[in-house]
Amino acid sequence: MPKVLIIDDSAVMRKIIQRNIQQSGLLVDEFVEAGDGREGLEKATANNIDLILCDWNMPNMTGIDFVKALRGSGQKSNIPIVMVTTEGGEAKIEEAKNSGANGYLTKPFTPDQLKSKLGNFLLVK
Amino acid sequence: MAIEGIMENVASDITSATKTLFETMIMLDLKHDSSFFEDDTQIKTDVIGMVSFTGKYHGVIALFCSKKFALKVASTMLMTDLTDFTNEVKDAVGEVSNMIAGNVKTKLTAQYGEMNLSIPIVIAGEGLSITAVNNHPVVAETTLSCFSKDPWLMTPFISSGEKFDVGLLLKESGK
Repeated sequence: MPKVLIIDDSAVMRKIIQRNIQQSGLLVDEFVEAGDGREGLEKATANNIDLILCDWNMPNMTGIDFVKALRGSGQKSNIPIVMVTTEGGEAKIEEAKNSGANGYLTKPFTPDQLKSKLGNFLLVK
Repeated sequence: MAIEGIMENVASDITSATKTLFETMIMLDLKHDSSFFEDDTQIKTDVIGMVSFTGKYHGVIALFCSKKFALKVASTMLMTDLTDFTNEVKDAVGEVSNMIAGNVKTKLTAQYGEMNLSIPIVIAGEGLSITAVNNHPVVAETTLSCFSKDPWLMTPFISSGEKFDVGLLLKESGK
């Protein structure tokens, strides 16, 4: 069963994302949380993570730096990453894609938008 | 275009971003009124959630609300009944400010080039109880006043019977 890592400096946003996934019918066995990119890197390498959801603007290490670091690490570098962020616009989406992100969702989002985006990476019950 | 005109356009983006946020993640009714310039000395509030941005233009987008409204919004977002003004409530106010500012920034970027957003900062005042002359207690309803050198362009909203404002300070960089 899949394990999902949620990286966001807002604990409230991590809870909202988790609740929306649980209510969506998407199959997730366990959630792992991190408050910034640096903690995200530690958790991504220490756990068998199947999908990563990552914010962009965070203290210590930004989401985009996290993506570049994980993709360049050679370890766990193929885990799918979906950016979930207030950063919008074509240039940011392109930058995330070029850095190795597999999906992009802008906040605010509806539960259906989240389900639709994550449906590419997770099975439905 | 003069800065006041740009600010009015941005205020329209603020209204649209706030409406989208309430329709998608907060799920509370929302009404808004026309934006107006307000001198900083007139701003009294319990809670401020603010995000600054830099680029061709720089400034601050700030949410001004009561503690009661902050609790209502956080409770709705977390689907639980919060009664204490905890760090979780401040976190929720920060995220609300962040999502409004992020949406506005995307629109500004499309028009004026790349801009950068700060991480949100939330400031909340503690309730003051003052014993006044003749032993009549006076309780200050609002505890924070805001100081800045320029007037804020305020957009007033009402949700669940509570008023809140989203304010904007904007300057052209290098001027």
